[in-house]
Amino acid sequence: MKKIDRKDFLKIAGGAIAGSAVGTVFSGAPFISLQWLVEWTQDQHVPSSGLEKYLKGVCEICPNKCSISVRMIGERAVKVETSNSGCPFGQTSLQMLYHPDRITTPLKNTGSKGRAKFTPVTWDEAIKDISSKINGIIKSGKNDRIASINKERNLSSELLDRMVNSIGSNHSYYEPTLDTLTAGAVGGMLDYNFDDADFILSFGARLLEGWGDSASISKSFSRWKERKVKFIQVDSVCTRTASAADEWVPIKPGTEIFVALGIANHLIKKKGMGSGAADFGAWSAIAGEYTPEAASRLTGVPAKKIEELADALSRAKSPVAVAGKGGKAISSSSAEIIAVYGLNTIVKSRSVTTKQNVNFAGAAPIQTAAKFLAESKKCAGFDEFVKTKNFDMLIVNGADPVYKSVYGKELAAKLEKSFVVAIMPLVNDTAAYADYVLPSITSFESKTAAGDPVVKPVDGAIHAGDAVLRIAKMVEGLQQSFQWKSYTDLIALTGKTAGAAGFSFKGDILKKQLADLKKALGDANYSLSLVPIEAPVVGDGDGLAFPYAMKVLGSETFSSGKLYVQINRETAKKHGICNNESLKIITEKGKVGSVKALLTDSVSPDTVAVPMGFGHKFYTRYAEDKGVNPREIMNDKIDPLTGTASWLVTRVKLS
Amino acid sequence: MMKDMENKMKRRWGMAIDLDKCTGCGECAVSCAQENNLPIFEDDSDIPKKMTYLDVMRITNDRDAKFPDVKVAFIPKMCQQCEGNDPKNPQPPCVSVCPVVATDTGDDGVVSQIWSRCIGCRYCQVSCPYEARVFNWWKPKYEGSFKKSLNPDVSIASRGTIQKCTFCSHIWKKERDKAVMKGELDINAVLYTPACVSACPTGAMVFGDLNDPKSEVSRLARDNRAFRLVHTIDQKKPDEQKKFRAIKNFPNPKVYYLSSKQWIRDLMRFK
Amino acid sequence: MKKIIDYLKNEFNSYSKNIRITLMVLFALVAGFLIFGIQILFWGLGYTDMNNNFAMGIWIIGDLGLVALGGGAFFTGFILYIFRNDKLEPLINSTVLLGFMCYLFTFILLVFDIGQPLRAWFGYTYPNWGSHLMPQSMLTEVVWCLTLYFCVLCVELIPIALKHKILDSIPVLHYIGHYLHKLMWIMAAVGTFLSFFHQGSLGGGMWGVLYGKPTWFRPHYFFLAIVAATAGGTSFMLLIPKIAEKVMKKKVAPAESFQSLAKISGIMFIAYTIFRIYDIVVMSVKYVPLADRSFIDLWGGFFGIWLLVVELACCAGAIVLLNLKKFREQEKFLFYGVICGVVAVVFSKFDAVLHGFSVPNFPWKGFTGYFPTIQEWVVMLGSFATMALIYMWFAKYMPFFPHLEKEKHKEGGN
Repeated sequence: MKKIDRKDFLKIAGGAIAGSAVGTVFSGAPFISLQWLVEWTQDQHVPSSGLEKYLKGVCEICPNKCSISVRMIGERAVKVETSNSGCPFGQTSLQMLYHPDRITTPLKNTGSKGRAKFTPVTWDEAIKDISSKINGIIKSGKNDRIASINKERNLSSELLDRMVNSIGSNHSYYEPTLDTLTAGAVGGMLDYNFDDADFILSFGARLLEGWGDSASISKSFSRWKERKVKFIQVDSVCTRTASAADEWVPIKPGTEIFVALGIANHLIKKKGMGSGAADFGAWSAIAGEYTPEAASRLTGVPAKKIEELADALSRAKSPVAVAGKGGKAISSSSAEIIAVYGLNTIVKSRSVTTKQNVNFAGAAPIQTAAKFLAESKKCAGFDEFVKTKNFDMLIVNGADPVYKSVYGKELAAKLEKSFVVAIMPLVNDTAAYADYVLPSITSFESKTAAGDPVVKPVDGAIHAGDAVLRIAKMVEGLQQSFQWKSYTDLIALTGKTAGAAGFSFKGDILKKQLADLKKALGDANYSLSLVPIEAPVVGDGDGLAFPYAMKVLGSETFSSGKLYVQINRETAKKHGICNNESLKIITEKGKVGSVKALLTDSVSPDTVAVPMGFGHKFYTRYAEDKGVNPREIMNDKIDPLTGTASWLVTRVKLS
Repeated sequence: MMKDMENKMKRRWGMAIDLDKCTGCGECAVSCAQENNLPIFEDDSDIPKKMTYLDVMRITNDRDAKFPDVKVAFIPKMCQQCEGNDPKNPQPPCVSVCPVVATDTGDDGVVSQIWSRCIGCRYCQVSCPYEARVFNWWKPKYEGSFKKSLNPDVSIASRGTIQKCTFCSHIWKKERDKAVMKGELDINAVLYTPACVSACPTGAMVFGDLNDPKSEVSRLARDNRAFRLVHTIDQKKPDEQKKFRAIKNFPNPKVYYLSSKQWIRDLMRFK
Repeated sequence: MKKIIDYLKNEFNSYSKNIRITLMVLFALVAGFLIFGIQILFWGLGYTDMNNNFAMGIWIIGDLGLVALGGGAFFTGFILYIFRNDKLEPLINSTVLLGFMCYLFTFILLVFDIGQPLRAWFGYTYPNWGSHLMPQSMLTEVVWCLTLYFCVLCVELIPIALKHKILDSIPVLHYIGHYLHKLMWIMAAVGTFLSFFHQGSLGGGMWGVLYGKPTWFRPHYFFLAIVAATAGGTSFMLLIPKIAEKVMKKKVAPAESFQSLAKISGIMFIAYTIFRIYDIVVMSVKYVPLADRSFIDLWGGFFGIWLLVVELACCAGAIVLLNLKKFREQEKFLFYGVICGVVAVVFSKFDAVLHGFSVPNFPWKGFTGYFPTIQEWVVMLGSFATMALIYMWFAKYMPFFPHLEKEKHKEGGN
């Protein structure tokens, strides 16, 4: 055998190396390992699979309670199917359900209030501490210094009302909504039958932006299009509703009431129409001053247009004049609600009725309660309560008054000095001031009238109703009124309504509020009007916690961390403001900023349209520190009938 | 032979959106994001870099009008599923340009995209006249428990890849699989509804088969209120159209918009 | 270790002050290039100012510019080896190196620019070739052509490196170098063939096929880009040795070489300008109106018509200064002429990218802007700095300018 010399060895070795290199390349190994490298560096998440099924559920985002179908993959809910009958707010409920910032254990405040610094505690510990606090207040004879604020009427709010009232406090409140405002102004919640209506005249009610029952209005809206129902929107900004309406009647901001009075005047004087409701005489005497011409001067709407609207309203078979300015957040003076509702009674509309909520009966208040209930008067609304009353304890059920009320700052100051319990799934601006935050479950986790929960409740959270029950059971003397084991026993008992009556035109209110309004509109120091608008899905702020809301927002609302306010081009020219300029908005109360200017003629002159729902200080990592909250600087004049600040029009200037 | 005939694709998916009914509520976009596992960022307000398939565009005619004659409308815009001049041989602007065959037109006319094939050159994004393709500028994020609501039918894309609307064709595939389980082998047997269409609360969006003359979408596409987004060649006379199409392809989207408002049609033209 | 540092220190201090400052800036840029490069590769393109609307930016301008200017290598090689214009011989080494580096950094910038650099090889394994002889996607063509041409440039570069006195003393390498050099015309022919394609596809065809975008669509864009590359590339191949001459304060090539290349460049600029004017006319009367838009309305926003004005003005400058003998033979005007030429071609790329992307797609949207972030600038300038350093190294340590070597020998060595 030939000896392998050095040269041959090099040849063989070289060949082997070259061969294996070629072989490796052609085997595809380098490419596969590159693919692995790609995957490894990217750390791709693979959603786990499982048995697919669709579960029937009820969306409890709003009182409308749409029935929905939830697509399940194993135990995971992955999609809400609304089959063309839901609303965008319901579509975000999965983001609520699986929100990474959800609280899963009761939290106790540590450190100074308003910083949202909490430590987890057990349920027993929290309930024991809260109830002993309540017992202490009762013992010291300050029963009426316990108050509650609910986001909206539902099972848990009725339970909380019952608890607070049974202790002897009248101070159980709701955040201002369409229902609370109309109930305050006209004596009952307004129930519109939009499906029967053949002429809709909306006075700043942004029907398609979360107003009332979003889902059913959307349905009615598509039927209006099919039935060729005329839908006219009176508003100072071409909002989404105004854009979808058949006609947008642009007006000077805040002057909706004058349009209504002008129409009423025309109907009464020219058509000889009238209403049988109380105090109509006094009211129509004041309305008599607002001929269409006079109204035109105040509103900027041509007198002819006002007459046309009046004629159309009287001609229609079942016309509806819609009161309650705003979308998710509503603000109207009671005079305005009365005036618009009054139009319905003048034209004898069959499509608007009133109703009222009825709490479930059978409460047995504690012995000392009767005295307090008789002595301390309930305020007309929560804003009035914050402004005029002091309290030792506030139970917050899902609400966010620190953020949503014009009196947020005043409330925060009072919360710092009192004992605050917040029951909610996400820590919000109000919960930041809480001594205890109790985690509640969301709509898919609760049993409803429609059946079992869609998904298992997240560990550690319980139904808000259960939380109230657990507290109430520990309060001395209340056990008898709260004998239920769980909220599920109450599903059939709650949510009852009944007809309401007793509408009065209240001429004196009209007189006073018109005087105030005229004075405000004539304020030369603050020459512009701030008109809040609402961005889709964000609504009045609750939606911003759900990051998919941001997928909808365009550059006209919120872009690169800056909130955009819309200003009429002529007005901007007059004030020397150019597009994209940074601004501060100033009112008598203070200033917010900076925001950016978006010049567009889709807003009335002398108007600054500011998106609401931004500027949270604490409301999950997705909503915090985004934009500004205009409610900090809005009009805080409290309406005597609704007890709520009429903030929808605020006089401002820019800098 | 018979079987082949039966299994020939007949579908040509298209959409019609009635802008008179659209309220700009954004439910379509949220539903789309949920269905297609779109990433979740803490601050998603960098709009030009935002990952979203469906953009609800707010348009006003303040280019042509002044207060108080200004109007506003909302246009939900997703991938328009262009097909070029010849529907039988679809040539969307974006498909032929991809260097790595990451995007293709299916025989049902839907322009697909394979996230895991895409190298992220963004050439297709450049070619798209509707800004419908979006790029993962950052690594897609799904914070903690948000991962629980991810749809297993849509894979998660990597950073640096293009994603786009596919008319939710994974839903169709799922429906077809279900039909096959029941013994139905005809590929045309099932219809489906994309997430945005099934969410629309006013029923403004209609989805269906453009090849089926009886389907609602093809009826709406022929409606005299119908137009296509920034596709003004549709308004030219037939002989002029023919002349133009001989020179170059036109996108010919399969998404039709309907509006009774003249100003929206006027706004489709550049001035 | 200490020895190396001392050596580098001495070496550095042996240069004049201006050179030292230049070197410092260049090395700083290279360091920045490495740092920001890692950031971009590991954390993504979110750090750039590119977005879903302005999908390509400064790096693509860099790619287009580098390939067009580096294209001068193929054209100079083509004139030298195929047309046997031997006057260009003294410049060919510099030309080949410039071409090589331009293409190398085109690749590097492309790797930064794509979202998935680790998947870059998909271009070879899953090419979108379609059913025809020519690839369906212009980018597929670009990837393949660039790769092949890059290989050709590597082969062309080998003999230069082999001429180094240490390597040249090894007989085998000497012969390899010698024969490779003899075979160079084949390489030049292959390179020219390949280069024609990707010049056209990357510079023009890639944009010209985008029928959905009226700013770009034109069937002749492919050919326009080839002519642009021949004109601008030759200017660039002249400009760089001229700068080297200024820096080294030595004549790197005989004047007739420069004159010959300048003449070629000047003639090509006449061709280019005529073609470009034809292009503008055809765009405005034929192609843009197809999309129901007017050509002049496309020129708005920040990157407006001034790009076109600068480009045409520089074309005119290059034509006058490079074609008229009395200007061309004056050192100063020759210099201005080639700068005009390079700027004209770079601006034609600005026009394609900056202006092209800023045009709105919807009538209700406005023109958009694009302002590169620090990451984009540093990666871009860092690449240029690396190129400059490599060129300087070659100029100093390699037998790069044969003319210089000859001069050295005449002087009897250093």
